[in-house]
Amino acid sequence: MNIFVLIKQVPDQGSKAGVNADGTIDRAKAKRMLNPFDRFALEAALSTKRRYGGIVTAITMGPPPAVEILYEAIAHGVDGAILLSDRRLAASDTLATAYALSQTVRWAGAFDLVFCGLQTTDGDTAQVGPQLAERLKVPQITYCESFEIIEGHIQASRVIEGGTQTVKSPLPAVVTVANSAERLAYKTLRGAQRVQQLQRDEEARKQVIRTVTLDDIEAVPDRCGLKGSPTIVAATEKVGEIGGSCIIYQGRSIEGLVQDALVAIPRELVQA
Amino acid sequence: MSKQVLIFVEQVAGTIQPVAFELLGAGRLLAEKLGATLGAVVMGDGIGHLSAHLIAYGADNVYIADHPELASYRTLPFRRVLIDLIEGFAEAPHIVLFGSTTTGRDIAPRLAAYLETGLTADCTELDIGSYNHTNAFDPAKIGLYENCLYAIRPSFGESLKARILGPWKNPQMATVRPGVMAALFPDTDRTGTVIPMAVNLRPEDLQVVVLETVRAVGELVNLANADVIVSGGYGLGSAEGFTLIQELADCFKNGAVGSSRKAVDAGWISHAHQVGQTGKTVRPKLYIACGISGAIQHRVGMDKSVTILAVNRDSAAPIFKFAHHGIVGDLYQVLPELIRQFKKPISQPTYATSTSL
Repeated sequence: MNIFVLIKQVPDQGSKAGVNADGTIDRAKAKRMLNPFDRFALEAALSTKRRYGGIVTAITMGPPPAVEILYEAIAHGVDGAILLSDRRLAASDTLATAYALSQTVRWAGAFDLVFCGLQTTDGDTAQVGPQLAERLKVPQITYCESFEIIEGHIQASRVIEGGTQTVKSPLPAVVTVANSAERLAYKTLRGAQRVQQLQRDEEARKQVIRTVTLDDIEAVPDRCGLKGSPTIVAATEKVGEIGGSCIIYQGRSIEGLVQDALVAIPRELVQA
Repeated sequence: MSKQVLIFVEQVAGTIQPVAFELLGAGRLLAEKLGATLGAVVMGDGIGHLSAHLIAYGADNVYIADHPELASYRTLPFRRVLIDLIEGFAEAPHIVLFGSTTTGRDIAPRLAAYLETGLTADCTELDIGSYNHTNAFDPAKIGLYENCLYAIRPSFGESLKARILGPWKNPQMATVRPGVMAALFPDTDRTGTVIPMAVNLRPEDLQVVVLETVRAVGELVNLANADVIVSGGYGLGSAEGFTLIQELADCFKNGAVGSSRKAVDAGWISHAHQVGQTGKTVRPKLYIACGISGAIQHRVGMDKSVTILAVNRDSAAPIFKFAHHGIVGDLYQVLPELIRQFKKPISQPTYATSTSL
């Protein structure tokens, strides 16, 4: 099985570093992390290899520091990695991103499965997976929770409103993995040793982590970045704080303040 | 042909999903502002009876694709029907809207990629307005654009609302968060046109098959439909704390148990209960947050609740910045007292009526 997993480096929202007073993020100063949703995609890719054999390649698009998450993926056991990095990709929306990633996948070779996280924590769109599938002209399975490979098909359980659905698709396919799927296993000792070795040995690193530009993947620059993006963020405004309007109950007997707080609770909602 | 706003109608086993009525309500407002017609496209097997409802809720035109292969939602057949519909119009629809559901978020990006047009995810507000693009780095797009779709959505990590536009190509597409837009009051005197569609599926559209669909009734955690959600966070300190949360939830007629991500990560409760950015978005009539600090990741999943009551020991917790009512105290004292007062048989406590809120 030839397996790709698409991952992204995102700002660490749990960290205060790089958060401006107005709530915007200074991406240069912000702490960075592997998109939490991608951990499920990584596990899906690695479990496919564990169960059915194959080669797992992690792909990311981002500025040079994004190589950090490729090392992380290698520590977890992926075989190789590709970093798509090009200034002309700046300000890509989901359509432009999906195009650039689809060109990267095509460049990397034939595949059986491409796994993506459901969405990212910085964009929160969940759009790139299906858009990538359209570009690659293959079926998609979104919100995948668990799956098996049976006779050249993937049989997957996907989350839907109020339940689950089992679908069967031929390979190759693009799969976006739900965050209720299997959690990412720990880094392996072998993986960690491999990362150390790659950080020391530049030649070996170039073999395992390939860095490519738009020219390498034969992407049309006008379909990438700002020019290739049909949408733009025209304006942002701070989410209004209702600050100060909260009615606070404190400092009296528990019985008294609970009794006071009952005004918050509409009577008709309570069991008779 | 005049401008058109088109909405995608989700139906499950012949029942129109609530988000479709909300989209009709939102689409109607946009259509009025544009002087456009409102179209609704619905697909399924044996669904002819749905068109009258869609017209009563605001549609001028109902495009109906009735075919055995469309019985349950699948990406590729639905994609084909939508492509044929949109490409069949003399002029592309101005706007196409989908619900931000597992179905809408599956089909909308796929279609947008085919059409090579813009799509904004999970909008909470929509509007029409003009836009003057001046970015010199992208000269081809410079100009003043009228009648743009303003797709407005929370930009989560950054506590901002972003207005996203794509006026350069129609359709301008968006998915809309369920439960946010208001449906119109149905008017059975409204008239509209029902347009049956020819369904021309190709063999490659049928390669994915649905083997089984299980929708649990009452079994699963149904946060979406609960009137009251009692949520526990890291402040509970242990899994046992959820017994108390459940006990409080059981005091309500239609109560459910929610949780913060930290409580899920700690292994105290399953992910199905999680509210927030990587969990579910809810808007119950009453949300009781217990031992939840109110980080932005949680807030975005519940801050549209009609009433938020927070219980937290830390009076400086961010949750008190956006809750409507806050009890500062130890939840292990406050919750048992709340339960006791609810169950108190004689001298009834003085509740609010919902109109006074």
